[in-house]
Formats: sequence, structure tokens, C-alpha cells
Amino acid sequence: MTGPLFVVGLSWRTAPVAVRETLAFRDEELAAAVESLRASPDVAEAVLISTCNRVEVYGVARGDADAAAAAVRAMFARQRGADPAVFAPALYAHAGDGAVRHVFQVASALDSLVLGEAQILGQLKHARASAGGAVGPVLGRWLERAFGVAKRVRTETTIARGAANVSSVAVELAVRVFGELGGKGVLVVGAGKMSTLAARHLRNAGVAELVVTNRSPERATKLADDIDGVARPWDRLEDLLVAADVVVSSTGAREPVLTVPLLKKVAKARRWRPLMIIDIAVPRDADPKIGKIEGVYLFDIDDLEKVVAANLAERAKAAEDAHKIVDAEAAQFAQWLHGQRVVPTIRALRDHFTKVADAEAQKVIEQLRRKEATPDQRDEAVRRLATLLVNKLLHQPQVALKEAAPGEAERLAEAAARLHKLDVAAFHDEPDAAPEAAAVVAAVEPGAGAKAGAR
Amino acid sequence: MTVEPATTSERLLSVPPSAAFWIAIALYGCATIAYLLSFVAGKARAGQAARLLLLAGVIAHSVDIGWRGVEHVHPAASVREALGFLAFVAAGGFLAATWRYKVDLAGVVAAPATLATLAVARLSPVGVQQEGLNSLGRIHIMLAVTGVAMFAIATVLSLLYKLEERSLKAKRFDALTFKHSRTPLESLDQLSHRLVLAGFPIFTVAVITGVIWVGQRGTGFGRPEYPFAIASWLAFATLLIMRLVYGWRGRRSANLTLVGFGASVAVLVIYLLRRSL
Repeated sequence: MTGPLFVVGLSWRTAPVAVRETLAFRDEELAAAVESLRASPDVAEAVLISTCNRVEVYGVARGDADAAAAAVRAMFARQRGADPAVFAPALYAHAGDGAVRHVFQVASALDSLVLGEAQILGQLKHARASAGGAVGPVLGRWLERAFGVAKRVRTETTIARGAANVSSVAVELAVRVFGELGGKGVLVVGAGKMSTLAARHLRNAGVAELVVTNRSPERATKLADDIDGVARPWDRLEDLLVAADVVVSSTGAREPVLTVPLLKKVAKARRWRPLMIIDIAVPRDADPKIGKIEGVYLFDIDDLEKVVAANLAERAKAAEDAHKIVDAEAAQFAQWLHGQRVVPTIRALRDHFTKVADAEAQKVIEQLRRKEATPDQRDEAVRRLATLLVNKLLHQPQVALKEAAPGEAERLAEAAARLHKLDVAAFHDEPDAAPEAAAVVAAVEPGAGAKAGAR
Repeated sequence: MTVEPATTSERLLSVPPSAAFWIAIALYGCATIAYLLSFVAGKARAGQAARLLLLAGVIAHSVDIGWRGVEHVHPAASVREALGFLAFVAAGGFLAATWRYKVDLAGVVAAPATLATLAVARLSPVGVQQEGLNSLGRIHIMLAVTGVAMFAIATVLSLLYKLEERSLKAKRFDALTFKHSRTPLESLDQLSHRLVLAGFPIFTVAVITGVIWVGQRGTGFGRPEYPFAIASWLAFATLLIMRLVYGWRGRRSANLTLVGFGASVAVLVIYLLRRSL
């Protein structure tokens, strides 16, 4: 029998980072934590996911979901040495359908800080791999479905469309101007932290060359080493601008570095080839008027933030469609799970019936082999076999129904009637029924019917 | 010219379009709708369907042109035929361009333009056959039409460039031309330039053969369309020189392309009006 599914954990929604970090697990600690959970008598299967935004355990309980949840809480306290008073208020627990939906939502990045982000799916897959043998058939299927749902959400809705951070927006805009970024050069002006991030994104998008220039040559060299680029002297800024295609600027200068006269000269020297300038410095490095120069495309931090906000709003709209997919998939999974719960009973029932039938059939076959039987005798033997089978198979249910306590008996009778689609009422209202037939619980009556049919 | 061939050509000019023609019209229409859908609603699948529809349209159209050829109706036999041929070359050229460049969005303009050109060609009266149509005249018309068709595609791309560039400069990232266009500015500029570069020699030979042909006919150089033809040639010549020598590109190139194409459209319109009236 499969126990109830459960989820226990905390996320950015319920816990500030100060609490989240007390429960965070490092990669190499995941396996041990899951093992210690499995040692608990209440947990059958479990997986632990720990990212900077959530620490959660998904699992299958052996009996009671609450008991399994308690085991998880105890594991958190034991493994992390954390005071339950600190993290307990932030913990939430879901069981059954709620748990299924939660995991589907997490995998689809509907529960992520940045809606539709792509990392969570990889983190889940990693968590699954770390849990090893603690992921059994039910949890395995559950996670597999969650990955499937995530894929559906990404392809069937627009939740993952549009860059969701400033650096990705910069890359997206560069692609809009240049198409392929391979073969393009990026110039990083100033060695701020933001420019490092943007430069990395551009590098990942395939730009061929990263050049760094800074008033202080040491810092330029250091940043160039960091991002696998080359440092160039500050006094060659004009030449560098002529050679570049994308400029990321974030100096600490109080006055604009990229002025109209400078850029006019540069644009002409470039023969008006497009030059994209991303100014993420505050105060701004670029005179806003340079955006009017032919071939120069200027974007400041506000422009990029505006795109991010618009994209996130679009994602929020798409999330509605995504929730519909999650609900439909959760319902389907519930059905599968339900099937899993009755499958063993069905198997046992079939096994039992087959054994009885085989044994009785064997007896009749042996009888018939021993002596020459007339056709009439053979017919009689077959009829006897049918009656015998009915009696044997009905014996145990009859006993159970008769001996059941009041209340329990009615429930069993109703179950039997439903299982066999019996018209019980017809037998209640039969005043002429034979006394022994009336004494027998109505549910076994079809046996009599079978006898009548055989005659 | 004897009376007999004239009546024959009259008959040939009125050869009705084949079923393939109407199929082509229907397919171009469907492609137009699909392109609009992909543009307004941002449905990528509609864009793919549009491309296939346009391809099917071009194939049907080629069947019609081929059939008319069998019936001895040359694509340069009349303005109507020439216009239909222009639509065909432009649509086919655009399709070929989408093969290598991400310019699918340009179909929003290219497909309806093809449809409109074909419709105008069909609706324009049969008119009279071009007088003095010899092989030189045919070559002139075919080259002119091919050149103008290439300029037409370049113009569509230039138009798109201008719209996209304007949204980018104004930072209107939610503008339709920006949101649903996956066409980088540089590709638009480059492809448009290449089309002009390829179309220009063809158009130049067309102008030269045109001048010789007019000289042969001795009808004089006083017709109103001739200055427009020269203006068109000059615009494209300027464009190429400025790009080569001074590195003009982007918006300036796009503007000159629009001017050049506008002038060649004026030539066609004047032809059409005179033939129809």
C-alpha cells in the first residue's frame, strides 16, 4: 500500500534569508540527510532539495503524513543543529493533492522568486540524483511527472519568455541590433561589479572579444583576468570605441565619460556602423544626447529595468495558463496514484480466484480420467464444477458478512453490492423467497442464479 | 505590322488566366493573413505556415506563367503580364531571402504587396499590345521588371529597418515592429544593400536597352516616365557610391532605397495609366 505524499519545507515566501541559511544543505550533505530520513519508520521515500531560495523535503509517508512531517522536522533540527524555534514557524507542510501541486509548481518555476526562471529544474534533477535509492517508484514517478509538467509549462506558455534581469536584457538588445554576437567585440569601460556581470552574459552569448579599460590600469587588468578579456590603456578610449560593437560602461566618474563630441568623432570613424552603448553607471557615464547620433544606440539602467519589469509582468500573465496545466496534471497524477493503491488488491484477488479455479478444475479432470464417463455424466461433472467454484469463492465473503459487527456489516454489504453491481432491492421485497435463501445475505444471491442458469 | 498578327496578339492578350492563377491568388491571400497573424499575435507557427503558403503561391504562379508561355503570352507582352511577372519575381526573391536571413517579418509587407500587384495586374484592362515589341523590347521589359522586383524586396526590408530602428532609438520596446520582429537591424541593412547591389546592374542594362529601344522606335524621349526612370537609377547609383566611399548605411541607405523605388513605381504607374486609358 502506498502511503500519503507529503511536502515539508520553507522558501523565500515564508522565511527570510537569515532563516533559510540555518537550514541550507551543501551538495555533499544531501545524501546523508536523506538517508537519516529513510531510517525513520514514518518515511518510505524522500528527496531533499536545498537552493538559496528553498529547503524542502518531498516524500512518501509509510502511514500518516503528519508523522512523516514530524520526522522531517526532527531531521532538520538534528542535521543542522538549528533551533526549531527559529525555523519551525516558517515551515509549511502539504499532503496528498496539495503536495503534488506544490512540487509541480516548484518544478515549473511558478513558486520561484523570478517567475519562470530556468535554474530550479536543474536543481530538482540534481536533488533527485543525490537522493539515490531513497527515491522509490512513487516518488520517482512523481518527480518524473514534475519534470514533464515543467517542460510543458515552458513550451506551452510564455512564462520563460523575455529576459528577467538587466544583464540578459542587455544581451537581448545586442542580439536585436547585431543578430549573431559571434565575431563582435565588447568594450567594458570602468571596472564596476555590474559591468562584470553584463560582460559575462555577453561572453556566454558568444561575443568574440572582451576588452577592458579603466582609469586605474591595475583594476582593468584584474577585471580582464576575471572575465577572460584583455586590458587596454584608458588614454586609447577613442580607438577602443571605434573598434567595439557593444560598450558596457560603469565608471565611478562624476562627469559623463562618453560625451557628444567624442561619440560624434567615433561614429564617423566607424562609418556609422551600429554601436550599442549600455550605461549602467549611476551617475550616468554617457551624455543622453549621444543616443541621437546616427548608428549609436544608448540604453541606461532605467531602460533596462523597464524592460525587465515589462517582461516579468508578461510572465505573471502567463502564470495563469501555467497554473491550469499544473492543475490538470495534478489531477491526472492523483488518478495514477489512486490506481497504484488498488493494484495490489486486484492482483491478490485474481491470484486467489485463479488458484481456486485451477484446483477444482484439476479435481474434475482427474475424476473423468479415472473411469469411462457417459456424456450425461460429463455434463453433470461440469455443472458440479461450476457450483463448487461458486460455493468456494463465496464462502469467505459470506462468512465475513455474517460475522461482521453491525455498522461494519452494512458497509461491507454495500461494497459487495457495488463491486458486483447487484440489484439488492429486488431480494428485499421478495416475500415468497425460500427460508434459507432469505437467511443468506442478499449479496451472495447470484450464486443461486448461476445454479438456475445451469439447469 | 500586318493585320493578321495584330488580331492574333489581341486574342493572345485576352487569354484568360489558368486555374493555377486563381489558386496562386488564393494562396497569396492566405499567406498575407497568416503573416498578419504572426505579426499581430506573435504566433511563430503562423509565420511558418505563411512561408509555406507563399511558397505554394509562387509555385502555382509559376505554373500559370508557364502555361501562358505555352499559349504564346510572353511575360513582357503587356503591362498586365509584366506586372504579374514582377509580383512573381518579388515573391520568389523574398522567399529566397528568408532562407538565409531572419527576415520573416518582412512578409507582412511582401505578401500583401505581391497580392496587390497581382490584383492590379489582373484588374487592369487588357489594353493594346506594346507597339513595336521586338526582342530588344522584351529583354528591356524583363530586365526592368527583374531589377525593380529586387528593389521592391530591398524597399520592404528598408521600411522594416526604419520602423525597427525608430522603436529602438525611442526605446519603445513594446512596439509591434520591435516586439514581434526577430530580425536584427544589421541583417536588414546588409540584405537590403545586397539586393540593391545585385539589382543595380540589371536595372542599368534595362535602362540602356530601353534607351536603344526608344531610339529604334523613334518615338522620342519626351514621355513623362523617362525622367522618373532616370531618377530611380540615380538614387540607387548614389546609394551605392555613398556606401562605398563614405560608408553610408542604415537609415540613410534605407531612405535612398525608398526614393529610388518610389521613382520606379511612378514609371510603372504611368505606363499602366497610358496603356489602360
